[in-house]
Amino acid sequence: MICRGFVVLEREMNSSFPRAIRSTISPSSLVFKRPKPPFFAALSRSISVSSMPTSPNPQIPLFLRPPKFSSTLSDLQKWQEWAKSIALSVGSKFVDIDNGPDTILLCRELKWLLEDAVEDKSTVPELGSAKNGRLVRLKADIEELYVLWKQRIEERRPFQYIVGCEHWRDLILSVQEGVLIPRPETELIVDLVGEVVLENKGLGDGIWADLGTGSGAIAIGIGRILGSGGKVIATDLSPVAASVAAYNVERYELQDKVEIRQGSWFEPLDDVKGALVGLVSNPPYIPSHLILGLQAEVGKHEPRLALDGGENGMDDLLHLCKGAALMLKPGGFFAFETNGEKQCEFLADFLTNKLETSFHNVKVVYDFAGIQRFVTGFHN
Amino acid sequence: MGNFIAMRRSTDGSLHLRNPAIRTYLVSLLFSSLSESHNKPPNISHLNSQPVIGSSFRVLQSFSRFSCSSFEVETIKKLACFHHFFVPPSGVHWFSSQAVIEPKTSDGLTVDNIVARRWTILDESESDWKSHAAAIAQSIQLIKKRLQWKKMVIRLEMLSAELNRSDLWDDPVHAGKISREHGSLMGKMKEVNGFEQELFEHIDMLKLAREENDGELESESIRALLRMRRSTKEKELQALLSGEQDSCSCFIEVQAGAGGTESMDWAAMVMQMYKSWAQHRGYGVTVVDEMPGEIAGIKRATIKLDGEYAFGYAKAEVGVHRLVRISPFDSGKRRHTSFAAVAVIPILGDVSSRFQINESDLRIERFRAGGAGGQHVNTTESAVRIVHIPTGVTATCQNERSQHQNKAMAMAVLQSRLDQLEMARQAQLNAQHTQSLTEISWGNQIRTYVLHPYQMVKDLRTNYEVSDPDSVLDGDLDSFILSFLSSSLDKDEDNL
Ligand SMILES: C[S@@+](CC[C@H](N)C(=O)[O-])C[C@H]1O[C@@H](n2cnc3c(N)ncnc32)[C@H](O)[C@@H]1O
Repeated sequence: MICRGFVVLEREMNSSFPRAIRSTISPSSLVFKRPKPPFFAALSRSISVSSMPTSPNPQIPLFLRPPKFSSTLSDLQKWQEWAKSIALSVGSKFVDIDNGPDTILLCRELKWLLEDAVEDKSTVPELGSAKNGRLVRLKADIEELYVLWKQRIEERRPFQYIVGCEHWRDLILSVQEGVLIPRPETELIVDLVGEVVLENKGLGDGIWADLGTGSGAIAIGIGRILGSGGKVIATDLSPVAASVAAYNVERYELQDKVEIRQGSWFEPLDDVKGALVGLVSNPPYIPSHLILGLQAEVGKHEPRLALDGGENGMDDLLHLCKGAALMLKPGGFFAFETNGEKQCEFLADFLTNKLETSFHNVKVVYDFAGIQRFVTGFHN
Repeated sequence: MGNFIAMRRSTDGSLHLRNPAIRTYLVSLLFSSLSESHNKPPNISHLNSQPVIGSSFRVLQSFSRFSCSSFEVETIKKLACFHHFFVPPSGVHWFSSQAVIEPKTSDGLTVDNIVARRWTILDESESDWKSHAAAIAQSIQLIKKRLQWKKMVIRLEMLSAELNRSDLWDDPVHAGKISREHGSLMGKMKEVNGFEQELFEHIDMLKLAREENDGELESESIRALLRMRRSTKEKELQALLSGEQDSCSCFIEVQAGAGGTESMDWAAMVMQMYKSWAQHRGYGVTVVDEMPGEIAGIKRATIKLDGEYAFGYAKAEVGVHRLVRISPFDSGKRRHTSFAAVAVIPILGDVSSRFQINESDLRIERFRAGGAGGQHVNTTESAVRIVHIPTGVTATCQNERSQHQNKAMAMAVLQSRLDQLEMARQAQLNAQHTQSLTEISWGNQIRTYVLHPYQMVKDLRTNYEVSDPDSVLDGDLDSFILSFLSSSLDKDEDNL
């Protein structure tokens, strides 16, 4: 528990660039593209036309499933006690191994799992006291609940895949294996967009792009703050991500505002070249050699395609930075999430000084934990 | 600690306490921490006419971290007088006066007269007009007591005076507040006067019927009295919850006293008791913040109750709850005494009367797992803590499932804490303001739960007791709450 705790966030921490560049990463080593996993490498080449996702049916989050099952209150309570006892046995073991969840967190997740699994949330507090045979309706078989919790603890399967959703901002997004679980840090990208849209109404009525949209989190967040003329095109190479994003867009009834296209980075965006008012992305940015040491929930379960950013983690970020000038209208805004200080500083310098068509007002923005996380700016 | 209290009138018209000690005192008044401290408990009894902190405090080794010098107390008193100076002297009233005129029957009977005559009150089924009239008069008197009639009259005069000031609308927010309160008090007063009027009309009608020997009219009047007897009886209960904030939703906070796992377990039992109680009453229950104990129970927790009159009822629970039992955590099977403190904070419905929070006064702290963050980490932990720097008031929320939601909830808690702080402050500045129950009883030990060697739950304020702790711990609290609310309002002769 030593490294967990509260980090004091000073308001207005967003210091503005430029700063002294201390990066040790040489640009040439970055241009090197990492080998893509063969399947996706093939895909990224073969899919050049944008296509609506037709791929696998997305899974329905637990809390949205019909309450087809039932159990007695006391059986459910037995399950809860069992689940709690194995959560208790974890202690700080996972924290020590790889900074994973501790007992307190697992107990909270258990409560949430229960809330998602029962038809009527208000029965949850009754579990502690009532000892009776009353039936409760459930959205998963009680046997399945045993299996799910075992997976959570023994396989370290992420809680969000267990319940099939992640609460992000004020949204509940469907997620499943093959799709990155959106991170709380990324919530800020929507706020950053909100700020520039507030300052410049024109940006709220133009076309935006969210590249590598995953669950559709950023695109949906932006879609809800744009004006009536605004629109977001969200792309992803992964067919699973594209179909999950489409499902989430539909759940928030944003089909008219957010369009999902499957394909690699700018490839599906030929028709809007130079016409975008905004470009945002949280591309894979973890250096390849760090993938193996990741927290089990991440490394063993989340898609490598969503995490691995090549040798220095900047393959995709650089690709996006280079393409941004071509895609954005003059005055257009961009925001990219990065791995931290090194990448931020490198990219900010790259965008300001190394490109022919340069950008202005390039800034590095801190996340809530005080880490330099985002690079933002405007096309000249 | 010889500092003085610097107060600054800000643009929104609220005063800010600059002295950290007083600030902390006010904060601790709202929700004193049960953590151990080496300072002696503050002696603040001169602030209110009743001692705020009883001797039971010492059992818990003090709730508060500082003491308040008499100098500061004096300053507060002076400020209160100072404030008073601006209030037009009472007695100068314009539009509240006629409402105060006491209704009478044609031959001069008043409610007080009727009660004083001690007519025997028979069962409802006896169609005796005197019995009905006496029961109604008694109910009306009780309702008046519960509405704190005297104070209400004074308050109304004050409000009327303010409403008559020519510069009233220079501050529209304040004016709105004043006229809303005036309207609401007038409404209550008129309703009760209406009861009196109605009672006397029935009595006059009955007497007339007798004089005229009109049997039909007589029995109709008696039936009308009976109907009224029933409806005023119902109003008695409603009048228990006539405080300004009673109808609000609220937060309930429970904090374990010293004593490790046993008292943390007790705190969890108390919290469970409120959850069950709230569920039975049909309130929405949300856990806002919970700090579990290492082995069992909770160190502290906050829940939110949504529904009508949640605060009105729950405020009766404010104070320290004591448990005596053989601890399941003691291998020696010894008897233990533990404590849990309960605080209740109303969630004000009237947005205009809320404390204005300045964004730049906030420090927002968020949980994060150590390390690189971002894509490296997947955690469902998204706790947010917000500190209001000028007052030191904090609020934490970690039970929502997104950081965004946790922040929103923590802000809601913080807002209510600051609102309560503001109310406490105003209560001190305004001598006319009726002291709220929460202020009076906070810090006192209010109830004992004995599971061993015998079984009993006893309220120390009312002496109400039951011999079945299990049902109480299962949330059967209404009789405790009602007996407290009625005793605290009914016994106070000043209320009439
Ligand atoms: C770190 S995830 C971000 C997902 C989502 N935007 C979020 O913030 O939660 C990176 C995303 O980029 C997608 N991606 C990886 N390579 C891509 C490519 N060549 N073209 C388009 N998307 C790609 C991955 O499938 C993954 O969904």
